[in-house]
Amino acid sequence: MTTETLFRTRGVLGVGALDVARLDLRLRRRATLSYAVGLALYTLAVVAIYPSFKGDTSLDKLVQSDPTMMAAFGVTGSLTSPEGWLNANIFNNFLPVVAVIVAIGYGAWCVAGQDEAGTLAPVAALPVTRRNLVLQKTGALVVQLLPTMVLTFCCVLLGRFFQLDVSGVRLVAATFSIWLLGVGFGLLALVVGVGAGSRGLAIGVSSAVAAAAYLISSFASTISWIRPARFVSPFYWAVGANPIGDGVAASNIAALVGLAVLLLVAAVVTMRRADLH
Amino acid sequence: MPMTDAVSASRLTKTFGSRRGVVDVDLRVRRGEVFGFLGPNGAGKSTTIRLMLGLYRPTAGEITVLGRDPLLDGVAMRAKVGYLPGELALFPRLTGREHLEWFSRARAMRSTTYRDELVERFTVELDRPVRALSKGNRQKIGIVLAFMHRPELLVLDEPTSGLDPLLQDEFAQLLRETAADGRTVFLSSHELDEVQRIADRVAIIREGRIVVTDGVEQLRRSAPRTVEFVFEREVDPGAFSGVDGVRLIENVDHRMRLAFSGAIAPLLRVAAELEPVDMTARAADLEELFLTYYRDDARTTEVGR
Repeated sequence: MTTETLFRTRGVLGVGALDVARLDLRLRRRATLSYAVGLALYTLAVVAIYPSFKGDTSLDKLVQSDPTMMAAFGVTGSLTSPEGWLNANIFNNFLPVVAVIVAIGYGAWCVAGQDEAGTLAPVAALPVTRRNLVLQKTGALVVQLLPTMVLTFCCVLLGRFFQLDVSGVRLVAATFSIWLLGVGFGLLALVVGVGAGSRGLAIGVSSAVAAAAYLISSFASTISWIRPARFVSPFYWAVGANPIGDGVAASNIAALVGLAVLLLVAAVVTMRRADLH
Repeated sequence: MPMTDAVSASRLTKTFGSRRGVVDVDLRVRRGEVFGFLGPNGAGKSTTIRLMLGLYRPTAGEITVLGRDPLLDGVAMRAKVGYLPGELALFPRLTGREHLEWFSRARAMRSTTYRDELVERFTVELDRPVRALSKGNRQKIGIVLAFMHRPELLVLDEPTSGLDPLLQDEFAQLLRETAADGRTVFLSSHELDEVQRIADRVAIIREGRIVVTDGVEQLRRSAPRTVEFVFEREVDPGAFSGVDGVRLIENVDHRMRLAFSGAIAPLLRVAAELEPVDMTARAADLEELFLTYYRDDARTTEVGR
């Protein structure tokens, strides 16, 4: 048998479109599912206890008495309305923060982390281009956030049985923009990781940027000097306003998509220039 | 179309900021040969290899592998290359089998017959996660991953580290078969023994620069031999200073070991005057030559001819 007959053309042209993504998803499977299940349980709890808090006016007084303090936790406006309850407990804080943590973790690990561990070299030594590697890893990032997003979304939908009847369209828009937000920060971690060649630095820088963006978004409504900065915060684009009550503006979603595309281009460019070990 | 060289580098240079990688490396590896790439740790062996695979971008100079530019045409080149990294790292939670299956699929291998033969031949442990395997057992998986698709060029960075002697022999046999099949092996090592048994030609790299490239036989011919004299009394090694090509290795307990190259007669004449009681001479030893190139005073040490 000659060398040629051992290969299908795919082997000569390049690594299959999904092999690298599949491998990364397999390696992250446990973490991905843990986050998804954890957040789903949390969401179920938030949804299930809503009827007990629905008539609790003291909660709303708390927000009114110290709005800045509450804003730090992502709580603005009424806590007891269905929209306010979901914003304050899930969409303004917990869900985007978890999405961003998962995404930064993967973004920093998928190139810089694997390169530091030495496991990237055998993969990069396969017939695969750098661009293909980045695209597959971005694909794995996008897919990886899905279980968390979909499970949380489904659990919120169950709120219909707990007097949490909110607009399905706005719910989809809010979940979708949080998903995009996660992808954006994951790509930021990927770019920083490739550029600096360090997983630790990638996590540090992206987390710092994410924390700043979160605080800007949270305090924009209560601290006047922070307010103008809200337009540079991707958190604000995604969930800064009242996502479940007012929905997310199409322009905000477009901005999140634009940011992700920009970072993806940066990732491809940086990756092409990178030395892998 | 004439066959291009398997690897061809000219004035290949890679620096990392102010840190040296390799400088002005010239290499020609012919198709079908086993080429040994020797050098102490940190000399630039892995750097050269990563440049060959397109993992590093050269700072200056040129390199082609199987006639292709590793950066511009890396996909087509890497389809025909098998790589065993120096510090092989596998995915800790995956088993050997999962590794083989993933890499076979990624390389779109149609037949796994040869791969499975290799698994049997090297008694590869397939069912435990690699984090539970010894270094040698992980290395065996790496060997199968490098060879399983019958690549035209094998790039092996310190391949036998961690292998027991029996498997080292089996591995040497595999390299000979590969070369007999017309395929090329590029073998890096810091151990001469590993290389001199199977390589046709070697290059020695030191502090990022190639210091010599030659056939193993030619090197052996120019390599210094070792001779040991036993005296009844303490003898001043300075007595040999007038003889060309002689260097003192050690002088303890009335035993004097000398490395020498060239004809032996002048050396024997001087030695005879000192009335040795015994003499042993060893065949030409590449080790000695190798050390000569490794030593810091490589350029001033008298070697060969």
